[in-house]
Amino acid sequence: MLAWPHWLVVVVLVPLLGAVLTPVVSLRSRHVAPWWALGVMSVTSTAALFLILRVAAEGPFSYLPGGWVPPYGIELRFDEFSASISVICLIGWLAVLYSLRYVEWLREVPKQRIPYYYSLLLLNLGGMIGFVITGDLFNMFVFLEILSLSAYALVAFSGEHIAEMAAFKYLLMGAISSLLVLFSVGILFGVTGSLNMADVATRLASAEPVAPAALALGMLTVGLMVKAALFPVHIWLPDAHAIAPSPISAVLSGLVVKIGIIGMIRVYQIYNSANMIDLHMLNQTLVWLGAISIVMGAFFAIFQDDIKLMLAYSTISNIGYIVMGLGLSTNSSIIGGSAHVFNHALIKATLFFAAGGLIYRTGYRTLTDLRGIGRSMPLTCIAISIGAISIVGIPPTAGFFCKWYIALGAFEADQPFFGFALIFGALFIFIYYIRMVNAFYFQAPTRPEILEVEEAPASILFPTLLLAVLCLTVGPIPLTFIKPAAELLLAPLGG
Amino acid sequence: MKKAFVAALLIITAIPLLIGVAALPPHGETTAPVHTHISARYLMRGAEEAGADNIVTGVLLNYRGLDTAGEVTVIFTALVAGLAVLITRRKEPGAKADSAARGDVPAPPPVSPVVSFVVQLLAPFIALFAVYVILNGHVTPGGGFQGGAILGALFIALTIVLGEGRTRSLMPRLALPWMQGAALISFVVVGVLGAGLTGYFLGFPAEASLHLVRELMMLVLEAGIGLGGAAIFATLFLQMEAE
Repeated sequence: MLAWPHWLVVVVLVPLLGAVLTPVVSLRSRHVAPWWALGVMSVTSTAALFLILRVAAEGPFSYLPGGWVPPYGIELRFDEFSASISVICLIGWLAVLYSLRYVEWLREVPKQRIPYYYSLLLLNLGGMIGFVITGDLFNMFVFLEILSLSAYALVAFSGEHIAEMAAFKYLLMGAISSLLVLFSVGILFGVTGSLNMADVATRLASAEPVAPAALALGMLTVGLMVKAALFPVHIWLPDAHAIAPSPISAVLSGLVVKIGIIGMIRVYQIYNSANMIDLHMLNQTLVWLGAISIVMGAFFAIFQDDIKLMLAYSTISNIGYIVMGLGLSTNSSIIGGSAHVFNHALIKATLFFAAGGLIYRTGYRTLTDLRGIGRSMPLTCIAISIGAISIVGIPPTAGFFCKWYIALGAFEADQPFFGFALIFGALFIFIYYIRMVNAFYFQAPTRPEILEVEEAPASILFPTLLLAVLCLTVGPIPLTFIKPAAELLLAPLGG
Repeated sequence: MKKAFVAALLIITAIPLLIGVAALPPHGETTAPVHTHISARYLMRGAEEAGADNIVTGVLLNYRGLDTAGEVTVIFTALVAGLAVLITRRKEPGAKADSAARGDVPAPPPVSPVVSFVVQLLAPFIALFAVYVILNGHVTPGGGFQGGAILGALFIALTIVLGEGRTRSLMPRLALPWMQGAALISFVVVGVLGAGLTGYFLGFPAEASLHLVRELMMLVLEAGIGLGGAAIFATLFLQMEAE
């Protein structure tokens, strides 16, 4: 089974085809849609599992759709970074299960829209899977469009009155960033005559003059950082992530912003191995922006009363950590940064799932209204507490290892200032999560009726608790898994 | 103040863009990488090895078929995104079809009789042209995307002239979702067939004996793209009209 070559194309086409067929299967009854989506994601996850086992056993491998040798055809390439499809499949599967009750409960949403919701969710997940497994620049852009378009619509889906505005803001920023990426792909094609990433890297090494390639690097960075919501192009994120339905918030905050990061890793793979531009300036800029994101995201999160808005700002902080790790470009920091792509996805999905559970049961979404909820919904609140200590980075949770490695990288790179910025940021983050836990457990309720609510239903509670357990247990695995790839990322061509 | 700031920002952004673009190889220079690397092979051998005299179609369907599968998915995403945001409680397409059956569809807005007559007169020819563009796409410029756009435009013109009640029957409720997804579905069908024949997903058999099979596979793709595009145009038009 492992050696069957077609898994690589199955893993991306099954969710996309599943999305196209969702309206077909829901013709009779819209209640089929979630079960169909769940089945589609199960098949996808099985394929993903085989792929990950294979990359662990024999290293990166390729698939050539149409049978054309690269660079003439498209190459799908599965390397250690592509193994992030594990979290895409896991959180995607759980998000579908979670939506089963949650989406029906959204009062503002006409019921006929619901099958399209699942279709969009599958498109979004399929787009992300395609993005991380492709080895071709234009193909990457096509998948970027699938996932971005579906993400805008999913933000608008919740039907709350500011949802359309938030989605529109996201759409404008996202469209500009997609254009920048497309333009850069065009320029790289202009200088190298190729679209295959490995081939572009080889041919870029001898490309003359340097200016267009440098421009492409700059635009790719800006474009992808808009998708990742790094300071100062993060402004679309808080509203979009807070207003989306909770399972979608988990997908957007846990996964979609990471697409920008994985795209950036691909850019690094190309430019590091071409070794024709000194990346020091870019790295230094990214480290600074990362540090500002950490502190700024944490700072704004402290003043939020809305729990989902608070979690959204916390995502900006965590993107800051990851970008800082990449920018420091030492072995440890890159391992820490890229492992945080996995771990933060788990943590943030736990938190958004748990927050969604509270909102589902109580209808309130601010810390003030939710005081004392720990007594009536103990399991959900335990999950939130586990998420909180993970995101602060208290050992032995998932967040600790990554932050430790990034801080280690800062000292390795002889830039201890950023190590302190990181710890300072973690302190801020600690404050606002303590505020949250304090409100849930120790403050007297402002709304007495929330003491009467039941624990969240199983289809919501199970995804939340499963992810919380994973936050506690799987932390170190991504670190060891990503290590060989992270070391390769720094190596110039032939060096 | 704000305007000055925006102007300054635009100029600052424009400078690196212009510098970068100015250093690109000049247009039409035959030694530029865009002409010497992969495109050289497409032009030299594309017609023969990709099976389409129109090289653009050869690249779209054969060399880079997966990209095109992705692009038709982008179009489908646009449709679903539109529907997921636009459908309101009362005006659901299915419900409308039922009310059309009962005959209580609002009368079409008044259209000039000249326009109405000309559109109806030309309709079969436009449809024929759309089919020609779709089927002939791998020989001359054209193909599924263009033909689908023509078909979609024809549907919209007919709806404006004849009213929704009469054109709605072109899109039966049960077949509509199949039509909207036709493009990607045909890619998957052809792709799996290709995997059976060549061992690669979306592979086209190159043997002379399977020449007709390859031709047929391309036709299925073009037809799927055309039908899907037309159905998506039409659905979005009807949905927006219903708002």
